[in-house]
Amino acid sequence: MSEDGDSRIIGPMVTLEFHDPSGAIEVKQHFAPRVTSLQGKRIGFVSNDQWQAFRMLPLLKKLLEADFPGIEVLPIDAFPQGNAVIGSEETAAQVKQSGVDAVVIGNAA
Amino acid sequence: MTNAVAGLGLAPDAAMVTFPIEMFLPGSDISPVEARKRDFYDGLTRWRSAFAADGAAEAPMIRVQSASVEEAFSRANDLMLTNRWGDGLPLWPPTRERVDWILRGAAQPRGRRVGIFPPRGGVTTIETCAIALAMAGGRPEYLPVLIAAVDAFLDPESGSAQLQAASGSAFPVVIVNGPIGAQIRLNAGFGCLGPDPQRPAGASIGRALRLLQQNVGGALPGIGTMANYGGVRYTNVVFAEDEANLPMGWATHATERHAHAPGQNSISLAFANGATNIRRRGAKRETPEEDALQGMYRMADFMRVPNMPGLAGYEHGTPGILMIPGVVANTMAGLGWTKASIREFLWEHSRIPAEHLRRAGCPAWIEIDSSKVVRESIALDPWPITASPDNFIVVVAGGGHPTNSYWLQGYSPGVVGRVLELPSTFDALLAEAERDLGPVTPGPGGRPPR
Repeated sequence: MSEDGDSRIIGPMVTLEFHDPSGAIEVKQHFAPRVTSLQGKRIGFVSNDQWQAFRMLPLLKKLLEADFPGIEVLPIDAFPQGNAVIGSEETAAQVKQSGVDAVVIGNAA
Repeated sequence: MTNAVAGLGLAPDAAMVTFPIEMFLPGSDISPVEARKRDFYDGLTRWRSAFAADGAAEAPMIRVQSASVEEAFSRANDLMLTNRWGDGLPLWPPTRERVDWILRGAAQPRGRRVGIFPPRGGVTTIETCAIALAMAGGRPEYLPVLIAAVDAFLDPESGSAQLQAASGSAFPVVIVNGPIGAQIRLNAGFGCLGPDPQRPAGASIGRALRLLQQNVGGALPGIGTMANYGGVRYTNVVFAEDEANLPMGWATHATERHAHAPGQNSISLAFANGATNIRRRGAKRETPEEDALQGMYRMADFMRVPNMPGLAGYEHGTPGILMIPGVVANTMAGLGWTKASIREFLWEHSRIPAEHLRRAGCPAWIEIDSSKVVRESIALDPWPITASPDNFIVVVAGGGHPTNSYWLQGYSPGVVGRVLELPSTFDALLAEAERDLGPVTPGPGGRPPR
């Protein structure tokens, strides 16, 4: 990234060169591959039960079931709910064990 | 939050469907979920991360050219703001020369990794710290305190991963113990939480920490931090305990909380979400005993509040940091008070009646807490604001005047201590500072411009 000086300026130029202060970013883990289609898939929800998730996620479940024949959407409370537990290894293990093809996580604000 | 997953080692661009905040409020219209249902479906099927590569990418140096030094500095500052690296106050461009100068204060190699700054996940090295300190107008002798503070900040025990992003406006508080406080001109006395041209270290160190939180950690308002207010974040809070005025028999904060040896250079990092001045002194003809006791009740009364974010530190953290001036500490010590008895008193007299908790809806927050100790505390009436008196932090600091004390209300899952590492050339750095800044003198003083 650089910003060159004004080309109309004649005479000696002052140059300041300085570090980008933002630090490097490491990508150590890739996101899970997406499913090719939602038809016939098994979908789960991981909810923190905050920010109206108790209303929004059931609506999304209903929409998925209406739009994709053969889809199986697990109940909103199929997995432990709450900020204190949804990030735990135990919850992740339960999600994997359930055999879901994909999960929707919510809600943050 | 748009970058929360990066701190977990994932790419910074998660598949997210975002809505205005109004939809997340009680009784909201949630029909936008249906209107945007394709976005949810695409997130599960078609979305791809734009970040495919592994490993850390090094950023190139940035260059500005102008006809004058003044204009070059101006352009550099504009560029840093447009890149969202600034805080609105003038920044010192972190040139190679400036950063190398700052790095003279490091005992560790410049490439030594300190950690990953949440939520963005920027890699933080000794050099990254030096860059931030250069931008913040710092000096080399400040660097050991900043490095230790960053190391403590990035310790999972501090809770910074959550607090960086949370809406509760947490800010780090760094308490310095040991001779380094006075050596680097860190304020422990009058105005120790504010600007002081003779003791500028706290402002630079705290500002550098904030710049790291923002630039490396991604805690930009409304993007990486949802702090409603973000108070005290220009410089955070960095001060030294006034060890010179610690009463005989009173241990330093570092010794009490972290078992650091007296005289050892160290820092202690906690988080706060409020800062309150308390008029502690009596107004009429109180005896010393009445003055002390009434002041203690008044301080406890300030603490008896339903600070629900403080539940994060209920078990292992702190409900807050009480700062009392040395002159008050010595008077109280003469009456038999100790830091421990002050903590006991505050714990007992800051309890909240259960009825007051109920009418304010607090039990719901207590019941959903992840800590069993917190959840079980609901049975206590009156309810103590923290699990143990030992969790209160009592620090001797502030101007030599008896009227006020200061309460930094806690939002601190942990209180993390670190012993400082100093370079072998530290004494030379102090001598250079003495030459550059002149002696610290009481009174108006100052010296004529050179």
